[in-house]
Amino acid sequence: MFSKVEKYPALTLALIAVSFLIFGYSTSLPKITDFIIFCIFVIGFDLLYGHMGQLSFGHMLYLGAGAYGCGMFAYHVYPDPFLSLLVGVLVGAGLAAILGLVVVKTSHAAFALLNLALNEVGAYLVLSPLHTWTGGEDGLSLFFKSYGFINFSDRTFRFYFCLAALLLVVLLVVRLVRSPYGILLKSIKENETRVKFLGYNTYMYKYVTFIISGAIVGFSGALTSLNLAYCNTSLMAPSRNVEVIFAALMGGAGSVLGAVVGGTAFMTISNYLASYIVRWEMFLGVALLAFAFWFRKGIWGYARKL
Amino acid sequence: MGEPILATSGVTKRFDGLVAVDDITYEVAEGETAGIIGPNGAGKSTFFNLLTGYFKPSQGQVYFRGRDVTVLPSYQRVMLGIARTFQLVSVFDSMTVMENMMLARVRQGPDYDSKLRFFFKNVHYKGLERECGEALETLGIAGKADTLTADMGYGEKRELEIAIALSLNPKILLLDEPFAGLSLVDIAHISEVIKKIKGKFTIVIIEHKISKLMDLVESLCVINEGALVCNGNPQEVICDAKVKACYWGKEDMVCY
Ligand SMILES: Nc1ncnc2c1ncn2[C@@H]1O[C@H](COP(=O)(O)OP(=O)(O)OP(=O)(O)O)[C@@H](O)[C@H]1O
Ligand SMILES: [Mg+2]
Repeated sequence: MFSKVEKYPALTLALIAVSFLIFGYSTSLPKITDFIIFCIFVIGFDLLYGHMGQLSFGHMLYLGAGAYGCGMFAYHVYPDPFLSLLVGVLVGAGLAAILGLVVVKTSHAAFALLNLALNEVGAYLVLSPLHTWTGGEDGLSLFFKSYGFINFSDRTFRFYFCLAALLLVVLLVVRLVRSPYGILLKSIKENETRVKFLGYNTYMYKYVTFIISGAIVGFSGALTSLNLAYCNTSLMAPSRNVEVIFAALMGGAGSVLGAVVGGTAFMTISNYLASYIVRWEMFLGVALLAFAFWFRKGIWGYARKL
Repeated sequence: MGEPILATSGVTKRFDGLVAVDDITYEVAEGETAGIIGPNGAGKSTFFNLLTGYFKPSQGQVYFRGRDVTVLPSYQRVMLGIARTFQLVSVFDSMTVMENMMLARVRQGPDYDSKLRFFFKNVHYKGLERECGEALETLGIAGKADTLTADMGYGEKRELEIAIALSLNPKILLLDEPFAGLSLVDIAHISEVIKKIKGKFTIVIIEHKISKLMDLVESLCVINEGALVCNGNPQEVICDAKVKACYWGKEDMVCY
């Protein structure tokens, strides 16, 4: 039954919209807004990991790049929310375009660790050498202009805006994945060398994918700044890379809906379990073991077969 | 004989101490079907890998229609028209048979040149599916279009791999042991397919056993311990004394 949902993008979008509306109004809108933004992060990360088979340990760098791009533009240049968002996306994509030239030449462990190393460098740069612009340890408190009902200090508006952003990203990635490029991604994941013998310059496509991923992750970072009205070093913290990896695995890597399910599941555990159990990370660890051994395809991988 | 389509001059490939391909100068004429034989570990596959850009030679040059392609990346050689299959069948198990075909076919069509369509058009559209279906038909596996490739038998996968290579608009097709590991029925079938496509473009086939090649090829080349031993008319080649020496004791090696 659920596998049908994936066949029709309109159904996918409707399912996501309705679920988040129900979550949002039955719990709290600001909390679910966080969930939604995190889901965009997972989708961007999973384009590289689940769809193309390249696991990055350093994608917080692009989240932070988007967050600081958006935040610093609003703080230092002009507090228009849409321009700031755009700058966030461009900074995420641009950084991926520069670093990707080298990063994409590696794969497997080298790829994962090189990304982590770059993430560490980025986190250091915003904390210390660039502190005049980034606000260092304190970060930046942000204010965004409002235009009538377009008011980012209104939590209900923020919720709907982020939900619309998520639907847009889902639509984009669903279309990408169903295109010839989507099949190419799958084939690169399985056997990159073989793809070259079909006439494809795999390096170029890996590079392009890295940039698209950087742009989407940067977008989620920019939304974070917009949503929280501040940005600080925790948005680029290398130690938080596990979160998105956990989420992608839990939901089921290599599926757009899986990424949304995983993002939501991870946020639910980290938000709710944390208020009952102090050391909730341990349960996350146990859950991850369960997924690694028994539920390889993630929650969505199993649900789609129902 | 026509002009050479693919040629090498003194190509050598060394792996650490081992010389896998030793100073081979070879050419295959446009339109002909050529065979390459040689015992295990002779360097046949490595030679193919030099022709297709899988490896760069340690020494020597590779020419395609007179153009030096020695350092051209493999994907660009494919676009010149050099298509190949692998000794161990290599197709994408995680995708359906149709998706395997589409990936190869799309690269040759107009949808590749329009990046908008390559990135955003739904790949399951009529024109492409029909084209790929026809290609599968040639190999007799059209009924398997929606099967997950991992669920196919080895023989069928080999047929798929040949269908993929054929859909790359090859000018020259390099088949590395297309009969290896197949049942007699599959061998007969693939042999039929090769006879059907033979003459439309150049084909080079690697084989262990001469008997499977005798009624397919117009020229035969023998490689032993990395070096080219003999090249020419198949009948003459198999009677050559040097060839007999390196195949000594192998019953397959009968002089016709
Ligand atoms: N990537 C590699 N690294 C190191 N040695 C290699 C590599 N590829 C091939 N060789 C060696 O080169 C020699 C030639 O191997 P090759 O696969 O070309 O032989 P072949 O004629 O195709 O044999 P077969 O009939 O068994 O397929 C062998 O000794 C092999 O071990
Ligand atoms: Mg071989």
